[in-house]
Amino acid sequence: MVDRWLRREDERLLTGAGRFVADLRVDGRLDAVFVRSEVAHGVLREVDCSAARETPGVAGAWSAADLPGLPPMPGGEPAREWPALVEDRVRYPGEALAVVLGDDRYHAEDGAARVRTRIDPLPAVVTARDAAADSVALFDGLSNVALRGEAGSPIAGEVWERAAVVVESRYRQQLLMPSPMECRTILCVPEGDRLTVWSGHQAPHRLRSELAALLDRPEESVRVVVPDTGGAFGSKSAVFPEFIVVAWLAVRLGRPVRWVEDRRESLLVATRGRGQDQHVRLAADADGRLLAYELTVEADVGAYPHLGVAFPMQTAWMATGPYTTPLVHATVRSVLTNTMITYPYRGAGRPEATSPLERTMDVLARRLDLDPAELRRRNLIPPELFPYRTPTGRTYDSGDHPAALDLALRTLGYDGWRAEQARRRADPAALPVGIGLSCYVERSGGERGSLHDYVGVEAGEDGTVVARCGAASSGQSHSTVFPALVAETLGVEPARVRLIEGDTDELPGGVGSFGSRSAQIDGAGLQHAAGLLIEEARERAARMWDLPVEETAWSEGAVHPVRGTAAMGLSELVKRTGPLRIDERYEADMAFPFGTHAAVVEVDPDLGTVRVLRLVAVDDCGRALDPAVVRGQAFGSIVQGLGQALYEGVPFGDDGVPLLANGLLDYLLPTYAEIPPIDLRETRTPTPRTPLGAKGAGESGCIGTPPAIVNAVADALRLDHPERLQMPLTPDVVWRAAA
Amino acid sequence: MKPSAFDYVAPRTVADAVDALAAGAQVLAGGQSLLLDMHLQRAHPALVADINHVPGLDELTASDGTLTVGALVRHQTFESPGAVPGPLGDLFARAVVTIAHPPIRARGTMAGSLAWAHPASEWCALAVALDAVVELRSTRGTREIPAGEYFLGPFQTAREPDELLTAVRYPLLAPDTGVAFTEHRRTGFSFAQVAVGAALTVRDGVITEARIGLANCADRPLRAHAAERTLIGAEPSSPAFTMAGEAASTEDAAPVPEPYADVDYRRHVIAVLVARTLREAAPV
Amino acid sequence: MKITLTVNDAAYPLDVEPRRVLADALRDDCGLTGTHLGCEQGVCGACTVLVDGEAVRSCLMLAVQCDGVPIRTVEGLAGPGGEPHPLQRAFSAERGLQCGFCTPGFLMLAAGALDHDPRLGDEEVADLVRSNLCRCTGYEPIRRAITRAARDHQNGQEGRHRSV
Repeated sequence: MVDRWLRREDERLLTGAGRFVADLRVDGRLDAVFVRSEVAHGVLREVDCSAARETPGVAGAWSAADLPGLPPMPGGEPAREWPALVEDRVRYPGEALAVVLGDDRYHAEDGAARVRTRIDPLPAVVTARDAAADSVALFDGLSNVALRGEAGSPIAGEVWERAAVVVESRYRQQLLMPSPMECRTILCVPEGDRLTVWSGHQAPHRLRSELAALLDRPEESVRVVVPDTGGAFGSKSAVFPEFIVVAWLAVRLGRPVRWVEDRRESLLVATRGRGQDQHVRLAADADGRLLAYELTVEADVGAYPHLGVAFPMQTAWMATGPYTTPLVHATVRSVLTNTMITYPYRGAGRPEATSPLERTMDVLARRLDLDPAELRRRNLIPPELFPYRTPTGRTYDSGDHPAALDLALRTLGYDGWRAEQARRRADPAALPVGIGLSCYVERSGGERGSLHDYVGVEAGEDGTVVARCGAASSGQSHSTVFPALVAETLGVEPARVRLIEGDTDELPGGVGSFGSRSAQIDGAGLQHAAGLLIEEARERAARMWDLPVEETAWSEGAVHPVRGTAAMGLSELVKRTGPLRIDERYEADMAFPFGTHAAVVEVDPDLGTVRVLRLVAVDDCGRALDPAVVRGQAFGSIVQGLGQALYEGVPFGDDGVPLLANGLLDYLLPTYAEIPPIDLRETRTPTPRTPLGAKGAGESGCIGTPPAIVNAVADALRLDHPERLQMPLTPDVVWRAAA
Repeated sequence: MKPSAFDYVAPRTVADAVDALAAGAQVLAGGQSLLLDMHLQRAHPALVADINHVPGLDELTASDGTLTVGALVRHQTFESPGAVPGPLGDLFARAVVTIAHPPIRARGTMAGSLAWAHPASEWCALAVALDAVVELRSTRGTREIPAGEYFLGPFQTAREPDELLTAVRYPLLAPDTGVAFTEHRRTGFSFAQVAVGAALTVRDGVITEARIGLANCADRPLRAHAAERTLIGAEPSSPAFTMAGEAASTEDAAPVPEPYADVDYRRHVIAVLVARTLREAAPV
Repeated sequence: MKITLTVNDAAYPLDVEPRRVLADALRDDCGLTGTHLGCEQGVCGACTVLVDGEAVRSCLMLAVQCDGVPIRTVEGLAGPGGEPHPLQRAFSAERGLQCGFCTPGFLMLAAGALDHDPRLGDEEVADLVRSNLCRCTGYEPIRRAITRAARDHQNGQEGRHRSV
């Protein structure tokens, strides 16, 4: 039976036995529906829930005024508080004005339709530039600018004056909806003085501590469980206003309450990613050696100060990219805008760093009449310079960037495509093709303060092994990969090891899964914990056998004396010596995965359509715990990158409301019809920062692929200064650029 | 996104169905647009008449040069090349695969598309191009409206709320008619930014009949009369098709701006796509 | 309204409001939560089930429309003895799922097509994969899985896993 399914997750998910939050049955559960603002910005004059309360099947309806003491969102500024329900001012479209609880979603929606609201609209600002002018203030008397930051040092004017070439350009990293197939979910079940919270979530322990603090109760009284989770991509790592309302009401009413976000509200009020206007200057000498790079970021971070406000600093810190540019300076201004907040979305700050640099490298290559591959080769950080400290404050652990570039070119058949390009340029009837490259380096594991996790390994009397860690899977195969790693370390059959994660009652602590940290931190930690378990087993056996520890050895899941044949398996050892359990807080440093992506596109200049003919991705994530799982992540990530490059975006009406009324018929996720042939290749440069050597994986496609595609389109159209090509490269954008 | 409450009837005869409509019912045939609109809170019917059990409405017949498509004939029917005789069947088969995807085509109906009247609807554009006639029944009797007079705007038609769209009739196309259908859209799931259907008859080296239908080129489906006029009597050639494309774009179309397709871009695409469609339709 | 849903050969007598969509009736009234709702607008296809053998979006059908009509969901895909359907094996073998939320929709879509014509060609398979959304896999593994299942189905053999 075991080998029938390649992953442990597969059987239940393939037979309909998976359990997502919306699948859980709890007696007496109420469904929450939120009444949402249809305007982007305005003064709330009235919320009248009385008719809703009279609606059949409705258990109650509340506005902020009806819920005194309802706590606001955590982590904000007192002067710019984010209430869980709007109190007097609406600051983003879809912001919740009231909540209705019904015995099911149908009846709750009936009630919500009868809540009367009145809002006096105010002008809305949805771009950072508009908002930064402060002509419309989201908070009266306060600037919309929420954060200024920089990385690196300002570059002297003479550097630019003396450079042989200086390229200057502007780019937009458009807002994106992470769009997991399962939207956000929470089910709160109060029982006695305990509250059990079920949520599709990336960071259960953080959710627990935040909810406990908000509800003013001891952390131990809250249990957060993450059941099957239908994708996350960064969008399920926070506490949200709706979560606060649901938890608050569940406790107050003493009844289970859940919120299962639907797609319509998700497109309005789920966190979004990216959202930066960028200006760059890149200077080089006549040989194409980079002299200086300056990146200026204006980030639209949404309506309230929040963790996302500081997130554009990721872009600043990674501005150096994979090159030896001696002078790099990045500045960030985060500006409040009338949209739901910008928050990490797969890549989270690194796509925004890679894209402007890689696009500008292509412009520079054209200016210097250099092959773009050659320009990159002259500037990539050579392997012998690692660890490499960048001017923007990162210390890259390891890498062989030229190897990744060369493998990408070989895999693509770069010279062959250049020949094909020349052939087509000579044939007026042929559609132009373009080739685009993108060399990237990213950061995985997290920032200081989150570079650790709880890990544990426990041997049972029955011969099984339980692994525990603070990660939470939303499709990354943890239940398969982590037991396999622990089994390999212990030398036991993988079937004997099972994983427990995503349940705060079962774990002494945990950080979660985001920032490509689970394999790198939790994986290395589990390997470490398994090693400690072996050490402990040897010590116990040594005592039992009255031998020095050095006279014991470990192999095949058993301890034995170095001389002699007697061996004792874990089960026997536990029976003889008592429970054997390792609990550790494992800490590691961040790592820097890298690679090169290449794209070939064919453009129909008459219609502006882009057909991607080929994608090649060379990624280096150090040691891959399960290469097939890593490839699956890489492939899916590339398709999301394709989405940013060509299809996805959030257009706004003049009133500041997103023009997404037709849901997924307006916000276009890539379908199979859009998928080109994709070749994945790997180089392997283990991180020296853990014994395991794994770096993060899974975000590379969102980082490396978009600029490769955009560069290919610019190459096909032979655009010297492709500022008019701003993502998504929809047909109208490409047609205008080609004209 | 749940539908608001309604009463449900499942009439067994057309007479019962039109009685239900007289009582204010909205029609449920394939349901692929009605339920969508209910989920998106755009439709709140108090009464729904499910006509799926009315015998005879699923008939597709061709006789005396006329194709009659009953109200319950599903999109997918037209995927089979032999379902409709001659070039009309060929044209329908080319168009139908651009409509949504197989599970939607298994339920949705051609007549339902005409009742919904989405400006980007492929069937609606073909109906006006092909001089289809829409048959409407109510307790007041039966009437027929030419498709050219039936579409009044986005989701607006000449159908009165109490009228049941029972059938659509198309004249069959002559065997020597060349047909083509092309669509420009952003991904496999999006509505057409522009779609063009064309039927061309060439006799003795000149175009004797031209029919061009435009989807999403105005607030309603269009027949490109001005473009067709430039073709009659002309030899089928690239310059002639380009000229027809220009005429369709500047004289026939009245594009509405959308995100990712402003009026200038739309007009340009219409010109390009009409010319390409005609080139493909031209009998070799 | 009183109706009886016949799902995977079992009868579920229900009393439902006419507005209740089939997906909700299956999930909440029949307790068959393998069918998922991803968009409720017929786009994503996570809710795809077989109604009278035809793959349909169960968010765009009313439960009352399905009174007495045979319905098949992912819970009824395996054989009577629990023997996995070739599609279930192939999805695992080809890594056609990650988070698994969209998976039941793809399975039922493909199951309906295989029932109609076990000799699915490449273009038919592509047409199926183009019908639904997946945000994890990038679709190619799903295409491989359906192709593999069609092959195994035709060979009538036990699908043996090969290395990918």
